[in-house]
Amino acid sequence: MKNAIAVALAALALSACSTAAPEGGGAAAPGASTPSPVVMTSFPDLPTPTGDPELPGIATSAPAAGAVGHIPGPFDDRFALARLRFDGSQVTGALDITSDVSDLLELQVLAGFYDAKGRLIGQNRFTHHLDEDTHHDSGPPSEHERFTIAVPAGLRGKAVSAAVGVPVLVNE
Amino acid sequence: MRSRIKGTAVAAILLAGAAGVGSGIGSQATAAPADQGKVKNVIYLLGDGMGRTHVTAARQRYYGADGLLNMEKMPAVGQVGTYALEKNSGQPGAADFHPNLVTDSASAATAWSSGVKTYNAALGVDAKGTVVPTVMEQAHAAGLATGNVSTAEITDATPAGQMSHALARGCQGPSYSTGSCQDLAITGSELPTSDIRVTPIADQIARNNTADVILGGGLSRFDAADETALKDSGYTVLGSPTSQTVATKTDLAAASGKKVFALFNKGNLTIEKFKHDNPAAPEAQEPTVADMTSKAIDLLKAKSNGTGKGFYLQVEGALIDKRSHANDAAQTLDEVKAFDDAVKVALDFAKADGHTLVIVTADHECAGFNIIEHGSFTNAEADVPPVNKDSGNAANNSTPLRTANQAKDPSRTAFAPATFRTADDPAGVTDGSPQASLWLTYLSGNHTGADVPVFAYGPGSSALEGEIQNTDLFGIVRHALSLDVSGTPAKVASKTALSGSTKVKAGQKAKIVVTVTPAAATGSVKILDKGKVVRTVNLSGGKAVVKLKLAKGKHRITAAYAGSTSYNASASGSLSVRVR
Repeated sequence: MKNAIAVALAALALSACSTAAPEGGGAAAPGASTPSPVVMTSFPDLPTPTGDPELPGIATSAPAAGAVGHIPGPFDDRFALARLRFDGSQVTGALDITSDVSDLLELQVLAGFYDAKGRLIGQNRFTHHLDEDTHHDSGPPSEHERFTIAVPAGLRGKAVSAAVGVPVLVNE
Repeated sequence: MRSRIKGTAVAAILLAGAAGVGSGIGSQATAAPADQGKVKNVIYLLGDGMGRTHVTAARQRYYGADGLLNMEKMPAVGQVGTYALEKNSGQPGAADFHPNLVTDSASAATAWSSGVKTYNAALGVDAKGTVVPTVMEQAHAAGLATGNVSTAEITDATPAGQMSHALARGCQGPSYSTGSCQDLAITGSELPTSDIRVTPIADQIARNNTADVILGGGLSRFDAADETALKDSGYTVLGSPTSQTVATKTDLAAASGKKVFALFNKGNLTIEKFKHDNPAAPEAQEPTVADMTSKAIDLLKAKSNGTGKGFYLQVEGALIDKRSHANDAAQTLDEVKAFDDAVKVALDFAKADGHTLVIVTADHECAGFNIIEHGSFTNAEADVPPVNKDSGNAANNSTPLRTANQAKDPSRTAFAPATFRTADDPAGVTDGSPQASLWLTYLSGNHTGADVPVFAYGPGSSALEGEIQNTDLFGIVRHALSLDVSGTPAKVASKTALSGSTKVKAGQKAKIVVTVTPAAATGSVKILDKGKVVRTVNLSGGKAVVKLKLAKGKHRITAAYAGSTSYNASASGSLSVRVR
């Protein structure tokens, strides 16, 4: 199914692998007489990301002027948003993890900003990354994260509402 | 949701399984009856965060002080060292070896899966970011049936350690993000998003066919494209990533086929205590870890019967760790019991089969769990810790002296032990009462550096006796599955050369060409200026071309090829570039 894709195989093979017969029809699945791959380092059907993730509902999530709406995302059953505020220059709020009590490893909050007609005019993000070298919450495992996301320069005065959603969320 | 460009070439690196590090095999001189015979299958069960006290406390609670958990009935017993490495550290014995004494689940999973110590958060890469093959990948390549079962999201560290290669364990999916997937401390600059090491783990699992049977949680990590990829590879998919419909234990019971993918919760599976207390809840339709283990063995046995080869199954009881992080002893102990029930399933199979090695261990201890004397209290988070200065006898003093509250969270001043009745307590004694005999405390809400227990049954089990490192588990499993006696090739030497501009006008870019031979070598190359990484690029056809904007003056450019599963690392000579 993916014959158009070049298959680059390094030259080392395990002789014992040569009879391994794959059941599936995946692109990298070798035939019975060819060596089996051990580490697949890329995938032909997988488009290469070009940037941070989008949420499909961002264009249609505009709330009333002055309000903060919610953009649906894949992890909506794992957190609760609270204290959402939009003052024309930034959207602020807090996120409480409801699924696990353990360190919050990754969090990205995506904010969309809308004009008076409800049209999406810009976006920005808040990113939390737990790293031993750069950011480690002391004390008990964190369940709570506050965020502030600024309206992009040039859109201040034009954005009248905001919406937020979560495309990235990983707890330990 | 995703923004991607089609057109990635497949680069499949063949078995260079002699990862070579930490693959020592312990003495097999102790020959208990169950230790004899040829190994055909290995079932590796991992209680995440399960330290020695977790085992002892669960034994006392459910079987009494004189009882034993199923894992404790196994004849071979040892202990496992778990330390990790700092980023960019060399392996043990190297001049640049920098240990980190407390591991996380990702580093630990990489240790037993690939035989290398690595940094916390790394999966399937060593501490310098080089991809290392896993024993499950090698077993799959050798034609064995393979299975991966977890009560966590299947993209979580322990299961992912066998089925993916990622710089950062947080790169789970469904989408790539720079913050969760890249690690500039390892690579110097961002890797191309086509690089396996920054490819979301869910995308890898759905496409690399490493495990034939995949059972667990984490449906939210997978999407419609993943479901298509799984089905194209021959998996029977229970539930649906496309519609985000979770599978149920009824679905699992009816499942058949050589490859099965079933996720029973959008996130981690539900704790056993909640399911017991809420039998009508949808979550009660999730299978237990024992249910999943039983079905996985059935599926893998059926597949391996068809090939004449054995199987390799990894099973994780993940919620022991997650509830220990929460310092919730009631749930923690229930999860240890549920995990031990899965151990019994594996042991019953092994005893009947006679050719199955069962290994039960943990990745690290979590939370400094301890059993304290009836009526006593814990010290670590107390408002005023006991003084370690003895005014009456200076010989009792320690250094440094504690003079203030040293709790990480100063507000945590009323930390009481949890009390539980045990199988030995008289009727009427209840959990939480002062009369309950099992008094439990925690040292923290995080991992500790204590060694963890290992138990083993079956042929080859004596290799697990004594003190071993978690990297030794890689070699023990490889040896048991005969993956190390098939003429596994060593890595091939590589050579790195540099060419390009030597004189550049200020403001112009210097063109640098890196050539790595053999040309089939894949992976990344770091470009350094006077030893400092200024760019990391991927090889294509053994070459990489970069254009560097350099400041005025003299520059000494070198290139370092990171190596791969098939090729050793190599470094170039220097290229002097003068910018005028």
